[in-house]
Amino acid sequence: MSGAGEWITVAASLLLGLAAGFVMHRSDFCMAGMLRDLFLFRSTFKLRILLLTVLTTMVLVELARQTVLISLFPFPGFGPSGLANIIGGMIFGVGMVLAGGCVAGTLYKMGSGKIVSAVAFAGLIVGSVLYAEFHPVWKSFADKMLILPGKVTLAQILGMQQGMVISVVAILMAIPLVFWWRGGKLVRSSAADGYLQPWKAGLMLALLVTLSVLIIGIPLGITTSYAKAGAWMVNLIAPWHADGLSYFKARAFDYPNRLLGITYCGGPGPAFDAISLIQFPLIGGIIAGGFLSVRLLGEFRIHAKVPIPQYLSGFIGGVLMGLASRMAPSCNIWHILGGMPILALQSIFFVAGLLPGAWLGSRLLTGIVLKETH
Amino acid sequence: MEVKEIDMRGQICPSSLLTALREINANKAALRSGLLRLSFLSDNRDSTATIPESAANMGYGVSVVKEDDSYRIDVFAQPTETEIRNS
Repeated sequence: MSGAGEWITVAASLLLGLAAGFVMHRSDFCMAGMLRDLFLFRSTFKLRILLLTVLTTMVLVELARQTVLISLFPFPGFGPSGLANIIGGMIFGVGMVLAGGCVAGTLYKMGSGKIVSAVAFAGLIVGSVLYAEFHPVWKSFADKMLILPGKVTLAQILGMQQGMVISVVAILMAIPLVFWWRGGKLVRSSAADGYLQPWKAGLMLALLVTLSVLIIGIPLGITTSYAKAGAWMVNLIAPWHADGLSYFKARAFDYPNRLLGITYCGGPGPAFDAISLIQFPLIGGIIAGGFLSVRLLGEFRIHAKVPIPQYLSGFIGGVLMGLASRMAPSCNIWHILGGMPILALQSIFFVAGLLPGAWLGSRLLTGIVLKETH
Repeated sequence: MEVKEIDMRGQICPSSLLTALREINANKAALRSGLLRLSFLSDNRDSTATIPESAANMGYGVSVVKEDDSYRIDVFAQPTETEIRNS
């Protein structure tokens, strides 16, 4: 932490996280719930909101790109796609349903006092560290399964202009949304105090992702930090072991932030680098946003009397999400709010895996976890 | 009228909605006849939207009241038109 650029990075990430955590808590914005409820209750309300969120982000990011406000495109951190994205998405889907929230949902729910989410958080770190143990094998498998090397977005693969492809897809996505809007299907009634309509939350989250792209240069990302937090712990307990793990020497990104005049360089290893600057404040912000929201409503209270199977489900779900977010690589926030809006093929693959994963997670949840509860 | 309280605070999503649906179905007869009122206590804000929505779709009356840090969601027999007229 030497210059103003670093401090601005920390402050921006913290504020983005704070706003995201607050907004998500007030609107019950839960991506795990969006997919789970589709399979469990045939309810599509939350999915409509997700479509609106992705579409708005798509339009805002494309506008920023067209007006040359984005210096690096496709964003650093996105690469060619392959089978690993689908497998990672699938395992992630099972994990987020079992944990009762995705990587961001787990954070704001933990901040709001949900103890199962705190257990899932611990699981996320454990899962991320476990991945480091078999990283070389997985990496070589993932590399062998890559398709279309050098191509990141659908537009690049089709050999067309990004603006053209985005326009067509955005119009196709907007058509059902207009019908739902006119039919009142994007609004729901809730008796919760201080409730924020999810469609408003979706628009706000789209704006936050765009701000992240403009200021930091990449969309919102969280999960490399879970590996880093775990790496620190391993380094503390068994430094010789941490030193031998090649994953802790890997680099997640290395790119210049022209707006702030600094270069971000960092990875999952136990060192204080750009990942620490960008992601730790974001994580802290989301937790604090959830906490702030619930405190202002007077609803903060920890209820620890939860059936044991639910604690186990939270932990296992967290471990699976931690593992999957390294295998995919990256999480739902990165792929759905960051990759889908630019039509990155690896994000489309991730979502293709996420759907059957969430279905399987829903089966396990009702067939095993909640069956024991009642 | 008997009131059955079900405390679901702290539970994982979507346990609250699933529990509510199971309780409503298991006590259908008593609920419909007006002999029973189910009272769910939840700290899951989402439940204040999903449980009333589902219960209303099944033809029940619902009320939601905030109690300290939680929400009390009551499900009961929908009053008949005569009862509404007389009230």
